[in-house]
Amino acid sequence: MHELFISIDISTAWQVVLLGFIGGVLSGFIGSGGAFFMTPGMMNLGLNGVVAVASNITHKFGKALVGSRKHAAAGNVDKKMAGFLLVTAVIGIQIAVSINSYLFKSGADSHGPGDSPAANLYISLVFAIILSAVAISMLRDILKSKENAEDEGGPSMKIAEFFARLKLKPIITFEIADAKVSLWVLIGVGIATGYLAGTIGVGGFIGVPAMIYVLGVPTAVAAGTELFLATFMGAYGALSYAYHGFVDLRFVMLLYLGSLVGIHLGVYGVKVVKEKYIRVVTSVIILLCVFSRIIAIPVYLRKLEFLSYAPELDTYFQASSKLFLFASGSIGVLVILVQVIRAYLQRRKIQKTLLVVRQPAAQQNSSVKIA
Amino acid sequence: MAIVMISGLYQSGQEELAQILVKKTKWPVIGREDLLDKARELGVKIGRLETAMVKGAIIKERLAREKELYLALITATLCDKASEGDFIYHGRMGHLLLPGVSERLRICVASPMEDRIDRTTKSLNLTPEKAKSYLEQLDEDMMKWSRFIHQVEGYAPGHFDATFNLETINLRNVCEIIVSMAALPDFSSNASEGRQLENLRLASKAKLRFALDERTGGMDLQVQANNGVLTVTYPPHQEKSSQYIPEVLDNLEGCREIQCTMAETNILWVQERFEPDSANFHEVTQLAQRWGAAVELMRLVAPEREHEVSISSGGNVIHPYTKKSCKFAYTGGVEDDDPEEADDGGLTLTQEELIRIGKSGGSQIVCGYSRILDNVKSSGKYALVVIGNMFLSKGHSAQIRLTREFVMNIRDRIKAPVITTDELKSEFFFGAKQGLKLLGCLALVILIYAAVFTHQEELIAFLSGPMHEKMKWLSPIVVFLFIPIIASLYGSIAGMILKVINID
Repeated sequence: MHELFISIDISTAWQVVLLGFIGGVLSGFIGSGGAFFMTPGMMNLGLNGVVAVASNITHKFGKALVGSRKHAAAGNVDKKMAGFLLVTAVIGIQIAVSINSYLFKSGADSHGPGDSPAANLYISLVFAIILSAVAISMLRDILKSKENAEDEGGPSMKIAEFFARLKLKPIITFEIADAKVSLWVLIGVGIATGYLAGTIGVGGFIGVPAMIYVLGVPTAVAAGTELFLATFMGAYGALSYAYHGFVDLRFVMLLYLGSLVGIHLGVYGVKVVKEKYIRVVTSVIILLCVFSRIIAIPVYLRKLEFLSYAPELDTYFQASSKLFLFASGSIGVLVILVQVIRAYLQRRKIQKTLLVVRQPAAQQNSSVKIA
Repeated sequence: MAIVMISGLYQSGQEELAQILVKKTKWPVIGREDLLDKARELGVKIGRLETAMVKGAIIKERLAREKELYLALITATLCDKASEGDFIYHGRMGHLLLPGVSERLRICVASPMEDRIDRTTKSLNLTPEKAKSYLEQLDEDMMKWSRFIHQVEGYAPGHFDATFNLETINLRNVCEIIVSMAALPDFSSNASEGRQLENLRLASKAKLRFALDERTGGMDLQVQANNGVLTVTYPPHQEKSSQYIPEVLDNLEGCREIQCTMAETNILWVQERFEPDSANFHEVTQLAQRWGAAVELMRLVAPEREHEVSISSGGNVIHPYTKKSCKFAYTGGVEDDDPEEADDGGLTLTQEELIRIGKSGGSQIVCGYSRILDNVKSSGKYALVVIGNMFLSKGHSAQIRLTREFVMNIRDRIKAPVITTDELKSEFFFGAKQGLKLLGCLALVILIYAAVFTHQEELIAFLSGPMHEKMKWLSPIVVFLFIPIIASLYGSIAGMILKVINID
C-alpha cells in the first residue's frame, strides 16, 4: 500500500459510507456540497488532509454533474455567470492546489510521505476560520430577526446593498440571473470560491451566499448556477489533484454509496421544513464540525513542534475529534430524518377538501362537507 | 364595453393620449397614481416594492406577499371599474393587468428618445445629459418591475394589440384609431368575457380579504375563482388557521361555494377530455398523493370543437386566440345541470371525484391552444404541468406529434416542469421498464465496485504509486472519465429505489 493512502477494511468502508450518507443528507438539506463534514471526517479516519480534500473535490465533481441536470432543466442555471466565475475560480483552485502541494511536500520531508502536519494544520485552520464566520453570522441573523419581526427571518442585506451601489466598470449583465455585476466583484467572488473549494473542498458554502448577497442573484438561480459551476470546478480540481497523485478513488466510490442516497433525503427535508429551522440546524452542525476540527489541531501543532506533550495523547485527540464529528453529524442527520419521516407520513394523510356551499339568496346559510 | 389600457415608457405621451381619449369618448379614466393612493391607504408598502428593484434578488423574494397584495388590489379595483362600464387606464405596465381578459385593448405609445429627454428636461428641470441618464435608469427599472411583478418582459410586442410611434402619427389620429378599434367585435364584451372579469374580481377580492385579515394574513394561500366557486389551497402546516378561511370569505359578493384543499403544491392537468376512471386520472392523483398536491384541471377546447362546449359545467371560459370564433354565451347555473346532457368533457365528474378524494385544486376551461400559456402564467405556481389528450380531432400519429411539439413549445416558456401523461409513468412511477434499468445499473455497479476493491494495490499504484510516476497524465484522464460514469450509474439506482418508496 502506498504510504499516502490508508488501507480500507470493512469497518473503515462502512464509516466512509456513513460519512457520505451524513454528508449527503446535510448537503441536500443545507444546499452546500457537504464537504464541511466529509473532509474533516476523512481526516479523522486517518486520511491525509490533501488526499481528503482531493478525494472530496473529485466526489463533488460527479455529484454536481448529476445534480445540475435538474437545475438546468428548471431554467435555474445562468451559464454566462457560471462561465465568468469558472475562469476566475480556476485561478483560485490553482492557488489552493499549489499551496496544499507545497505544504504537503515541505511536511513530507520531515515526517514521511504519508504525514503532512503543515498541510493538515493549514487546512484545519482555514476550515475553522471560514466556517466559524459563516455559522456565527447565520446565528446572529437568526437572533436579529427574532428581535425584529419586520425582518421576516432573512439575513442582513447590507453587503448586497453595498455592492449594488458599487458601480465599478466594466459592468456585465446577466439575463437569467437578472443582475448587473461589476467584473471586479465577479473576479473577487470567483477567486474566493475557487480557493476555498481547492483548499477545504467547500465551494458552494461560499459561492451560493456570495451570489445571493454580493451579486444579487435569485436563490434558485444561485443554487443552480453554483452546482453547474461546481461540476467544472470539481472536474478541474479532480484533474489537478489526480495529476499530483492525491485522489483516492476508493474513498470517492464509498462516499457515493452514502451521499447519493442521503442527498435525496436532505432535499426532501428542505421541502417540508421551515426555513428558520433549516438555518438553525445548519449553523449548529457547522459549529460542531468546526469544534471537532479544532480538537484535532494540537496534534498537528505538536508534530510541527509548536506544542509539546506526550505523543500518546495524539490518539485521544484524534479519537475525540472523530467521535465529536460523527456524533454531531449523526445527531444533525437524525433531527433532519425525523422531520423527513414526519413529513412523509403527513403527506400520506393530506387528503382533505373542505366544501362550503352557500345559498345564493341568503349567503349566511352554509352547508359544510369535508372530503 | 371597452377597456383601454395605455402603457409606455416615462414621458412617451401615454398620459396625453389618455386625456385626449377622455375628451373624445367621455369614458372615465384611472391612472396608476390613483391605484397607488388606494394601495397606500390599505397599508401596501409601495415604497418597499419600488426600491426592491435596485436591491438584490433576495429582497424581491422577501416581498412576494406584498407583491400579491398589490396585484390583488389593482385587479380588484380595475374589475370593479369594469363592472361600471367603459374605462381608460394609463400607467406602468397597464397592459399586463387583468390577464386573460381579451376585451382589453392594450395600447403601447412610443416616442423618440430625444422627445422624451426634451419633456423630462422641462418637467424636472434637468440638463439634457442628466435627463438622458435619468430616463435610461428609469427604463431599466421599469423592465425590472415587469419581471418582478408580472414575470414577463414588459414591452415584448406580443403583449400589445397596437403600438403607436408618435414620431410618425399624432395623438389625435391615434385616438381616432383606438376608438375604432374599441368598437370592433374582438374588443367588445360578451357574457363569457363578463364571467372572466367576474372570476378575476372574485379571486382578487378573496386574496385581499385574506391578506388584510390578521387570522389569514400570514398564510400561503393559492386562490382560484371559477363561476362563483372559490378554490383555496393552503399548506399542511397552516391547517389550524384554515378554519378561518370560510369565515374570512363570509358574505363575499359573488361567492356561492368555497373549496378549501390542504396541499403543499399544485399540479395542473391540461387536456381535452377528462375521465375519472382512466389510468391517467389514477396516475395523476397518485402523484398528487405522494407530493401532497392539489390537482387543478384545465379543460382545453380546440377551436374547431367550440360548438360542443357548454358553460354550464361551471368552467371559467377564456376566448380562443381567434377571438371571433368563440361565440357561445354564458348560460349560468352550475349545480343543477346534468353532466350527461351537457358535454363538458368530463370536467364536472372528474372534479367531483377530486373533491371526494380531497385533492381538488379547481378547474377552468380554455378555448384555443395558445391561451393555455397565458393562463398557466397568470394562474400561479405549479409543481408540475401535465399535458394529456389533445388534438383529438386529428389522427393518432398527428396527435402524438402535435402534442410533443406543443409540450416543447410551452416547456421553454414556463418555469414549471411540463410533462405528458405518457411520460408520467416512466418519469415518476416504477414499472417493468424501470425494474430492468435498475437491475442493469445494479449489475454494472456491483461489477465495478468488485473490480476496484479486489484490486486495491494495483489501483493505488496507478493513482499515486510507481505507475503514476511513469505516466502522470493517465490517472487524471481515467478519473475524469470514470467519475461521471459511476456517479450516473449509482445516482440512477438511488433515484429509482427512492421512487419505489415514494420519496421524490
